[in-house]
Amino acid sequence: MPKQTEKERLDLLQGTLDMLILRTLQWGPQHGHGIGQAIRTQSDDLLKIETGSLYPALHRLVKRGWLKPEWGVSEANQKAKYYQLTAAGKAQLVREQNRWAQMVHAIGRIMNPVENKE
Amino acid sequence: MRPDERELDDEIRGHLALSVQDRIERGQDPAAARRDALAELGYVGDLRESIRRVWYSRAFDAVTALGRDLRFALRSLSRSRGFSLTVVLTLALGIGANAAIFSVVRAVLLRPLVNRDEDRLIYIRQSAPGIGQADMTFSVPEVQDLTSQASTIAAFGDFSTVDFALTGLHEEPRIVHAGVVSGSFFDVMGLRPVLGRLITAQDDGPNAAGVAVLTYRFWTTTLNSDPHVVGKAIRLGQRTATIVGVLEPSIPYPADTELIANIVTSPHHMGALMRTNRSHRMTELFGRLKPGVTLEQARADLTAAHAAMLKAHAESYSARAHVQLSVTRLRDQIVSPARTVLLVLLAAAAVVFLIAVSNVANLILARSVRREGELAIRAALGAGTAALRRTLLAESLVLCCLGALFGVLLAQPFVTLVARYAARFSVRAVGITVDSSVVWVGAALALAAALLLAFVPRLPSAKSPAGLGVPTGSISMTPATRRRLRVFATSQIAFSFVLLAGAGMLVTTLVRMQETRTGYDLRRVVVFDVPLSAPAATDPKTLEFFKEAMRRVAQLPGVRGVSIAMTAPWRDAGAIPLMQVTAEGYSPENGEENPHAKFRIVAPGLFDVLGVPLIAGRDFSDRDVDGSEPVVIISESVARRFFGTGEAVNRRIVWTDPLARMMGPARPQRIVGVVADVDDENVVPSQTMAVYRPVAQMGIAERLFVRVDGDPHSVIAPVTRIIRDLSPEQPVERAATLEEIRSQLLAPERVNAFVISGFAGIALLIAVVGVAGVLAFSVSARTREFGVRLAIGSDPRDLLRRVLSEGARIAIVGILAGAAGGYLIGRVAARFFVDAQVPGALPAAAAAAVLVAAALTVSLVPAARASHVDVLQALRTE
Repeated sequence: MPKQTEKERLDLLQGTLDMLILRTLQWGPQHGHGIGQAIRTQSDDLLKIETGSLYPALHRLVKRGWLKPEWGVSEANQKAKYYQLTAAGKAQLVREQNRWAQMVHAIGRIMNPVENKE
Repeated sequence: MRPDERELDDEIRGHLALSVQDRIERGQDPAAARRDALAELGYVGDLRESIRRVWYSRAFDAVTALGRDLRFALRSLSRSRGFSLTVVLTLALGIGANAAIFSVVRAVLLRPLVNRDEDRLIYIRQSAPGIGQADMTFSVPEVQDLTSQASTIAAFGDFSTVDFALTGLHEEPRIVHAGVVSGSFFDVMGLRPVLGRLITAQDDGPNAAGVAVLTYRFWTTTLNSDPHVVGKAIRLGQRTATIVGVLEPSIPYPADTELIANIVTSPHHMGALMRTNRSHRMTELFGRLKPGVTLEQARADLTAAHAAMLKAHAESYSARAHVQLSVTRLRDQIVSPARTVLLVLLAAAAVVFLIAVSNVANLILARSVRREGELAIRAALGAGTAALRRTLLAESLVLCCLGALFGVLLAQPFVTLVARYAARFSVRAVGITVDSSVVWVGAALALAAALLLAFVPRLPSAKSPAGLGVPTGSISMTPATRRRLRVFATSQIAFSFVLLAGAGMLVTTLVRMQETRTGYDLRRVVVFDVPLSAPAATDPKTLEFFKEAMRRVAQLPGVRGVSIAMTAPWRDAGAIPLMQVTAEGYSPENGEENPHAKFRIVAPGLFDVLGVPLIAGRDFSDRDVDGSEPVVIISESVARRFFGTGEAVNRRIVWTDPLARMMGPARPQRIVGVVADVDDENVVPSQTMAVYRPVAQMGIAERLFVRVDGDPHSVIAPVTRIIRDLSPEQPVERAATLEEIRSQLLAPERVNAFVISGFAGIALLIAVVGVAGVLAFSVSARTREFGVRLAIGSDPRDLLRRVLSEGARIAIVGILAGAAGGYLIGRVAARFFVDAQVPGALPAAAAAAVLVAAALTVSLVPAARASHVDVLQALRTE
């Protein structure tokens, strides 16, 4: 089933944003803007997540049952939708981290073959 | 879980607020913060859309949008009820007619037979076109020759019919029509019993016991599906038989019988005449192809076998007869008479559908012009072309689905009508009901119509900004729209013309047939069937019985004459034997064969009763009895053939037919009279040779003829009573005047003309409504123009003429187009159907006149309105 594997590979790449979101939410519930800011600051401004990608991703994760949305109020008294990791979401985060590690390893072997031989 | 629309907005709003707050905290001034935050967000619509897409599929959106459009369409249609009603009714007529015809066509032409492996089942027919015999059937020696020679046929089944006097199932004995078959028949036909067993090889041979299988129709209709009928002993004529089973419902071909018996039950089938005479033909032949054999291979094989047989027995087949063999699939044989008629009906229904759709397209086009303002506003408010198209599609969907619904309801009675009609051509049409395919056809037609109609109106677009005005309460019409309206109206007229001319042709044919002189006095003669059982037919006492019956009937008031004969006109067509005959002293030319003449048996007075003139000599008399000199009366054409202009009376004829020779030594028979030719077997009379023999010398007469002054029906009850008084068990059946019998014979033509006229009427109605609609619309769109014309002094009568001539122009162009198209269709049809005809000048001219008159009549209303335009009102409208 070559199609299946191709899809998995795509998912892995596409899933990077999902992984980052899940990872960010490990520290507690956060609203969309907060998640975007957190990814940005933690990556030293290297990763800027477009709202057009972030929000559909959040909703996709909610739909899969990995996040739970809840309306709340920010410190500045602004009504906002907070996202929280579910148990399934935590398990997914572990899986994604493992896959990420595998992928880094695999890409590393391709990019630096000599280094790996020694 | 699934967020609703407001929640999405709230979330985006929250995001924006947080983003602005963030920027202000980082030291931006509020205005710049807000600007940057908005810029970062991009087009909110896109973001919102991409979030929604996570939850809602495109299909879901499309369906909700369609639902909204449908609700809108319902509201907007309910505001214009007249329009909606016209459209729905028009479509209902078109769709109903099509759905009904289609379900009949499907049942008759497309449905497979119930017989096992029916595509291997063939029907073999012998014909002699040279002497006008389309189905001459087979004799037993012929069947034996063919079956022993053919190598492509797995098995042959033979079938012939006889009439039996049946006793044992009913209180009274009755005459039943029965099939006689050998043991292979049911296996070849691939039929199963619903009860008991069928006739098999064990029932063959002279020592087998008599067995009979009841047909499903006979079992259900006259025996109330009696489950205990199997095993009952019955008498068939002089022989006994046991009922062994009931046949499953199947198409009775070639003959509809009450029961089917094995050969031993029929003394005639066991006799030497049947078994050894090559010219004694009464057997129909069926075959089952060997697996893998094509129809063409079987045809070649059987034709070769047949040719060999003709060669081997050349003395029995004259060259002039052109005896030949045809091999067809049984299914094709059964449906072939109905095919042409049904295809013509299907075409007529399709034309009605086209007219209906084009008329509805017209209405919708006109409506959309009225709605251009509304559509322009919606377009200005941001509705895209797709959205507008969807609105229109929803509207036409609502209309067409309603049309289809009513159409399917309408199809119900229509199917019954068409099926009853089609049953005259094909036994397969018996008992057709609306099948579910009607619903599918209706739905498919409705969808097709809806799609078609949604693309009729023009949409407001950037390209034609000037074409659409903002609503001003008046209608403006572009030349393109007006052209389209006219094209639709013209094509409707063209289609209607084709249908009307076709209907006119059928009606004129019918009238011609009805008025054909038959040689009989149709209105004043009543015929009764007095069926006799086999032994009684030749019993001398029967003659006494008839003599007494006739004596008493003659005394009834109003009776002018009474007589008997072997057959009734038309009703017994095909039952009159054709036999070869010659005359003493007549020397045929070289190679000339003795002519075949109809062998008829009549009593004295019959020619008088029927009104057939005696040309020479005398009628039979009471002195021409058994034992006295055998005499005949011949028809004019026989006299001319043998004696030219010479005297025929007192010359002698000799029967040379093998069948006649079988019945005894051929004694010359003296001609005592010559009567005018009559053909009472065919609708369109052709010249027929006939030789009449007196009942008293032959002894077979089962039809009583009574000539009446005044109301012929008044004698039916008294005559029946007289016969019952004489013989309580004697059936008296099917009393009818000759006119009634003949008109029954014309029934297919009449129903044909009726159905096609119905279609043509519907088409005419729809088409003139279309013309009227176009003119009314054109007048209301030109109110201002007419106002100006009147204001500058135009004569109102001139305006009236203008509108009328516009209507006449549509009608005339339509008729010309229809005539050209119809002629082409006729030419094409003639290539496929032998009996395709192009209507003559009279029906075509009549159809044209009707159309022009109708178009002018309906144009009067809008024309009158045009000439009465209120000048001030008209000028103020824009």
